[in-house]
This record gives sequence, structure tokens and C-alpha cells, in this order.
Amino acid sequence: MRDTLLIIKKDLLTEFRKKESLVSMVFFGFLLLVILNIALGIGRELDGEVAAGILWVSIIFSAVLGLGRVFSQEKENRCIDGLLLSPVESEQIYTAKTAVNFIFMVIAEAVIIPIFFVFYGDRFARHLPMLIVVVLFVNLGFSTVGTLFSAITAGTRRNEVLLPLLLFPVITPLIALAVKVTGSVFEEIPYQEYSSWLYIIVAFGFIFSGVGYLLFEYIIKEG
Amino acid sequence: MDTDFRSRALTVIVGLLFLSAIYTIFFYAPTERVMGIVQKIFYVHLSMAFTAFLSFFIAFICGILYLVKKDIKWDVYGSSSVEIGVVFISLTLFSGVMWARPIWNTWWTWDPRLTTALILWFIYVSYLILRTSVDQEGKRAAYCAVLAIVGFVDVPIVFMSARIWRTIHPVVIRSDSIDIAPSMLLTLAITMAAFFSLWLLLFRLKTNVALTCKRIRFLENRMEGGD
Repeated sequence: MRDTLLIIKKDLLTEFRKKESLVSMVFFGFLLLVILNIALGIGRELDGEVAAGILWVSIIFSAVLGLGRVFSQEKENRCIDGLLLSPVESEQIYTAKTAVNFIFMVIAEAVIIPIFFVFYGDRFARHLPMLIVVVLFVNLGFSTVGTLFSAITAGTRRNEVLLPLLLFPVITPLIALAVKVTGSVFEEIPYQEYSSWLYIIVAFGFIFSGVGYLLFEYIIKEG
Repeated sequence: MDTDFRSRALTVIVGLLFLSAIYTIFFYAPTERVMGIVQKIFYVHLSMAFTAFLSFFIAFICGILYLVKKDIKWDVYGSSSVEIGVVFISLTLFSGVMWARPIWNTWWTWDPRLTTALILWFIYVSYLILRTSVDQEGKRAAYCAVLAIVGFVDVPIVFMSARIWRTIHPVVIRSDSIDIAPSMLLTLAITMAAFFSLWLLLFRLKTNVALTCKRIRFLENRMEGGD
């Protein structure tokens, strides 16, 4: 546990010194919100589900930028070898990296979501607590699968180009559910009607936490 | 020479099964009352869908076995299985689209089965892309094994989440009954046997080629080492 926290601290510290990932994540998310607004026609009143779709496309695409960095920066100067040589279990590395990705996503979302409200109307902000719950569970699912896949792509020739190609097919159900549930929250539909979708999001997060935790060792040892 | 004989025997069996499948589909099975001749695509469609699904399940098992045993043969089996599965799932999607146009009056609909098949197609094509992006054998095998496992674990979640959209896909096989005439069922059974045997034949050929390639590379390396 202490080792896990140490790796998280190390990663957050390097990020806050250089601010590479977070700046590009937030910037790209912001940019996507603008581009999608133009694509749908500026000044149109959007219904909840379309607005939810825009929000999630922006979040997911910006999150992929941060995801690719987490392992490729370890590859530079062969830091990952040092990490593997140190007396840390690979499961702990996985937990730490997943947590770091999770935290990056939360920080980026803390900027992107308010910008979203500014552009698309603050009527969507009425159910903010529920939105935060949804966002946190989607983040869990995204960062568990994403961390596993970014470890894979960091070991390939094509590196960060490959990451979205592998990741998006697997998380398509997660994105579909996130849009559905967020749309329901925006439309003020009663909780009972979309709770079963929310449970699948939660299940996705926990299933892939387990899968990632078990499989990560086989990937990182191949590095 | 023994394996060669067995491959030939299997080829003959596949040929015979396909001939009988074609015969039963077009001459034995009755033409469906509402859909007419278009319904006949169903036998091929369902058989290919099942074989594709079987391929991905086998790749999943091979993935686990590779990670546990670290024997490269499981990687050969798994990747061959995925390659054949991708061909079959593509054909399933294609034949489904052909059928849907006259019957549903639309090429595509976001039904759970269609969506699941499409996302499966994406997952396993990305598996093939991953294979071309890694050079070292052991690394490629481990990465692909992990993707085969993750992809298969994703299938039930994809199916459940695709229920978001309403369904118009016919449900022929339920857990307690099968909703078609006995003669159609027999036709389906023969077609399915034909596709399973074709799968087996392709799998044999594919794995034989891959294993021979590995053997040649091994011998080449040894000759260079012996100089």
C-alpha cells in the first residue's frame, strides 16, 4: 500500500512540475466542445441525450491523451526497468497507474464540465451530484481498461497511435451507457428508470479492475 | 504424410457437408410464408455467427492457456482462431445486412445482436492490428493473449448495454424452445455441421502453416549458428 502511494506521489509530482498531460487534456477537451458545437449548429437548443453525447466524446478523447503518457514517459530513460527492479509488486504498479489516470481524468473533468455548462446551458447543472457519481464510475471503468491497454501499446512500435484503436472497441459499451445515464440525468428522468444502466457501468468498472489486476503482470514483464 | 491424408479426408467431408447443406437449404427446407426466399440466408447467417463466436471463445481459452503455460503453440492456436473468426463475423454482418434490407426495409438497426456483432468485429480487428505492431514473438503472444481475454470478457457487457436500443431482431433459439419447423431445424443442423467442419479445416491449415513457419525459422537460425 505504501509503495502504491509512493508511485502515485511520484507521478503526480512529475506531472505538476511539467504539466504536460493535464494541459493537453484540458485544452483538447475544450477544443472538442467547441468543434462539436459547430458540428451540431451553433445556437441550437440541445436535448439532454445529445448534450450528454457531446460531453462524453470530449471527456473520453481528452482522457486518451493523458492515458498514453503514463507509460510512454516511463519508457523514456528506461524508468520502467527501474520500477520493475525495485521491490514493488506489478499489481501495485497497476493500482498506482490506474489511480494516477483516475486522478488526471477527475482534474481534467473539473475544468471540462464547467466549460460544458457555460457553452450548452447551465440547466444541465441542476443535478450535479448525480452527474458526479456517474462520472466517477465511468472514470473507474475507463482508467482500469485504459491503464492495461496503455501498458500494451507502450511496448509496441506504434505506441500512442495504437492506443485508441485498441481501447475504443472495448469501452464502446461504457461510452454508450455513460451517454444514456447522463442523458437521463440531464432530462430529469427518475432514478429508477436508469438505475439498471448505472449498475452496468459500476459492474464494468469492477470487472475490469479485476481483469486488469490479474493480467497486468504478464504485460509489464514483457516490456 | 499422415496429417496430409487427414487434411484431405477433412476436405472431402467439408465438401460433402456443404453440398448437402446447399441441397437441404434450397430443395428440402420449405420456403418461409412471409419472408419468402430471403429467409434462406438465415441458415448460413446463424451458422457463421455461431462459428465466429466459437472462434473468439477458443481464442479466449488459448489466451489463458498461453499466459499460464507460456507455450507458443497456444498463441498460434489463438491467433489462427481469431483470424478465422474475423472472416466469419464479417460474413455474418454482411449476410445480416443483405437480409435486413428487404425484411426490415433498412440496412442496419442498433439491435443488441447487431451491435454486439459489430463491436466484436472492431475488437478482433484491433487484435489483428496489434499483431502486426509487435515484432518480438513472446511479447506479441502475451499482448494478444491479454487482448483476447479482455475482448471476450467484454462480450456480455456489450450485449447487456446494447439493450439500451429497442430490438426487432428475430429470436429463433430461446432457452426453452426453438421456434422453427422440424425440416428447417434439420437444414440448420446440417448447415451448422458444414460450417463447423469448415472451421476445423481452416484452423488445421492455418495452424499447420504457422507451425511450419516457426520450424523453418528455427532451422534457419540453427544453420546460421552452426557456420
